[in-house]
Amino acid sequence: MWIEIHFTAEPIVVPPQSLPSREIGAVVEFQGLVRELENGAALDGLFYEAYEAMARRVMGRHFEALAAELPCAAVLFIHRTGWVPVGEASLFIRVQSAHRGEALEFLGKAINLLKQDVPIWKRLTRPESA
Amino acid sequence: MSITVLAFAQSQDLFGFSSRAVPSEPGDTPRSLLLRLRPEADLGSFRIAVDGEFAEWDTRLDGAGELAIIPPVSGG
Repeated sequence: MWIEIHFTAEPIVVPPQSLPSREIGAVVEFQGLVRELENGAALDGLFYEAYEAMARRVMGRHFEALAAELPCAAVLFIHRTGWVPVGEASLFIRVQSAHRGEALEFLGKAINLLKQDVPIWKRLTRPESA
Repeated sequence: MSITVLAFAQSQDLFGFSSRAVPSEPGDTPRSLLLRLRPEADLGSFRIAVDGEFAEWDTRLDGAGELAIIPPVSGG
């Protein structure tokens, strides 16, 4: 499986699609946006930070393990860091596979694993040092 | 010997830094080293990573270069 994991402090720009083979029949994309309401409080945005080297490794292992169960051809993962205003994407994931079932399940499970143990954090306010 | 301690998210507020070189002693573990920095710290909600891999609180740090304090994650 082709795995790409990126972190960016800039707004996420959805990359143009490239197909790793002519056998791709399903492309599933997800964008996670910052919402105004978080636990009932109105926000201007969220501040994200990541332990990037470890997050790449942990997320990469999750993708490899998922690919053994759900054969997909490629996954592209982009997580934003720093201040993300309401309405902008903090996360983009694109999964490509031969069939839709694997890609949809892969995406859902990948997001659950991201929220389980991948060292990325959001805060309601900017740290004073940022 | 010294080790680089990384503090993320709410652990930065507790320890007062995001990255600091800290002297380590023979036999140190993540628990002993961090409690030497902040004896009153409640470490209960945190996990720990040594050289970028999750580790146990009482693993010896012998030769490790980096210790990261990992609060509950919230990416996405």
